[in-house]
Amino acid sequence: MIYIFSFTIIYTFIRQREKILSKKRNLALYLLLSVSGLALGIVYLLNPYLPSITTVMEKYMK
Amino acid sequence: MNREVTLRQITFMYLFISISSILRQMPQMLAAEAGRSGYLSPVWSILATVPLTAIVILLIKSYPGLNFYEIMVQLTGKFLAKLFILLYLLWILLAITAKVTAYSLTMQFTLMPKTKSDFFMAIMIVLVFYALIRGIKTIFRFSELTLGTVLVFFAVLFLCAMTRIRRDYLLPVQTIHLKSTILASKYVIAIGGNIILALFFADKFGVTVTKQQLRKLWFGLLTFTGLAFIITLFSFGISGTSLTANLPFPFYITVKSISFFNIFERFEVFVTLICILSDFAAIAIFAILLMRCFTWAFGLTEYNFLYTPLTVIIFYLTYYLSSTQFEFNYLYQYIIVNLNLVFQYVIPALLALLCFLKRKQIKKQY
Repeated sequence: MIYIFSFTIIYTFIRQREKILSKKRNLALYLLLSVSGLALGIVYLLNPYLPSITTVMEKYMK
Repeated sequence: MNREVTLRQITFMYLFISISSILRQMPQMLAAEAGRSGYLSPVWSILATVPLTAIVILLIKSYPGLNFYEIMVQLTGKFLAKLFILLYLLWILLAITAKVTAYSLTMQFTLMPKTKSDFFMAIMIVLVFYALIRGIKTIFRFSELTLGTVLVFFAVLFLCAMTRIRRDYLLPVQTIHLKSTILASKYVIAIGGNIILALFFADKFGVTVTKQQLRKLWFGLLTFTGLAFIITLFSFGISGTSLTANLPFPFYITVKSISFFNIFERFEVFVTLICILSDFAAIAIFAILLMRCFTWAFGLTEYNFLYTPLTVIIFYLTYYLSSTQFEFNYLYQYIIVNLNLVFQYVIPALLALLCFLKRKQIKKQY
């Protein structure tokens, strides 16, 4: 999925570059969200057995 | 007047997106928290949902033509309004992720246990994406058209299941159970609070909102409470409390034993389908709310380019948030329900209080 998502992000950038580049705020938001999403994907790809947020919360809330 | 969204559509959407949670999480949580008397909790929930509906109506009437963010700006100022919207943004992001997880788990529990959740999520992404391209009106129309059929289906289902209810699973209920049923009603309240949806789309209703239109919200609330009560009653009455408390989708098991004069059976497939449709509508509408929050928080004029990166975030966040049914149950019970109470009740109540304090100023303005 990460490859499909990477491709889609690049494709969206090319298709909507006028809107994204029209304001610095748009570009910053697009980059921030894209990098965050891809980072989440890469971490999951490297280690799919990471404990989930709920597991961590369950551990500390008890 | 041709309005983009009407209060009738909001009411239908509210009911439609609540159905999946009513069928899936509510009976299980009520059985676990209140035991045999848990089916009375939906009745207690009106103590919170009625004031919330009154608050929503008060805010819509006090600030005609303004949306949730604009109302917040009027009441708290721009800085606090943006801060609140950012918090709402995070809550909606969590709500979408939880909905996607619940949908994948439902599919695995009911129809396709060997299929990976990636597949279900990919299909949902494509469907929601298509719906979003078509616009808000399509999503509202979809729920408006489907809800009637769903309610008729439930009516037939309940008629067929009437004889299967076991009284000993429901009675006796004593005053000693009162406290636990009241406390358990928070699981109903957390779903019923979806009525604040009306505030997010309040700018689409136009400047004049009649009493008759606002009455639709009360009708929605009444239907919600009735549906929640009947579904819990049937789940408890047919499957029993202990089974209901230990199943991820108790209503699915409840309807397995029902048939319509031996002509029509396997209602559970229809129940799963209803859940999927409800999840689809909920994810689509939450996606619109998320985009509206982004627009308000960052002052955007265009937001279509955010769909792709947000889809990637939500997709992977489902894995990070909870990976099994047990984890999801814990997440729902301790995190999502409490967050829903804060965002659906506490913040609107604070706004209503401010609205009440500033009522003279508002009257001059409008």
